[in-house]
Amino acid sequence: MRAIGKGSLASILAAGLHVTRIILWIAFIGLAIAMIMVPFAVGIMSAVDGATNLSIDGNVAVDAEDYINIGHNFVTFAVMLFVVDRLLEILKTLRFGSPFVRENADRFRGVGFALLIGEGAKFAFGFLSLVTDTDVDINSQFITWLAIISVFVLAEVFSEGARMKEEQDLTV
Amino acid sequence: MSISVKLDRVLLERGMSLTELSERVGVTIANLSILKTGKAKAIRFSTLEAICKELDCQPGDILFFDEKD
Repeated sequence: MRAIGKGSLASILAAGLHVTRIILWIAFIGLAIAMIMVPFAVGIMSAVDGATNLSIDGNVAVDAEDYINIGHNFVTFAVMLFVVDRLLEILKTLRFGSPFVRENADRFRGVGFALLIGEGAKFAFGFLSLVTDTDVDINSQFITWLAIISVFVLAEVFSEGARMKEEQDLTV
Repeated sequence: MSISVKLDRVLLERGMSLTELSERVGVTIANLSILKTGKAKAIRFSTLEAICKELDCQPGDILFFDEKD
């Protein structure tokens, strides 16, 4: 099976990423709604309780842990959406033309920075968790840092590839 | 770039058009235009040889080095 071109592995990967993007958008919108609704959670619960005469047991109070969790997931999904979007753009150039263009180097760099922001946000939320004395499970993995470095290296490879392609195109 | 191409001048001296040169050397007009306008990053020896043969000139008649650029 071919790696690039129409009906290739790149096409299958692109189809998978399109589905992933839809799922991520739904999750992202859900989280955005949750972020807006969380401050009113107690009021909504009370209103539902009063209207339906149902007794809602349990703790409906919103604490710092919930905010940190939602905030962390919000940033994570935003980063994932950005990365998937960039990867789809890169795959498009792979399927329909030459992948060695300066735009792809910039896209890989963008992915690297997005992952870096994602990891930075993890530390920020982890710090918030410590400050507020809440039990939020946020941990940074070595493999993620390896991926970030690899993406930046890949960006440089594409940048050099684009330069060589340009030189080849302008060789008479 | 400090190397400049004076292909248009040699063409004018020989009374030859770019299209004619293109047909004679087997290089596309687009590529010759890149060369003529100084946008080219490199030139193959085979291309230079073909151009010099058709225009009956030396590489030095086409390519110039100017340190100021």
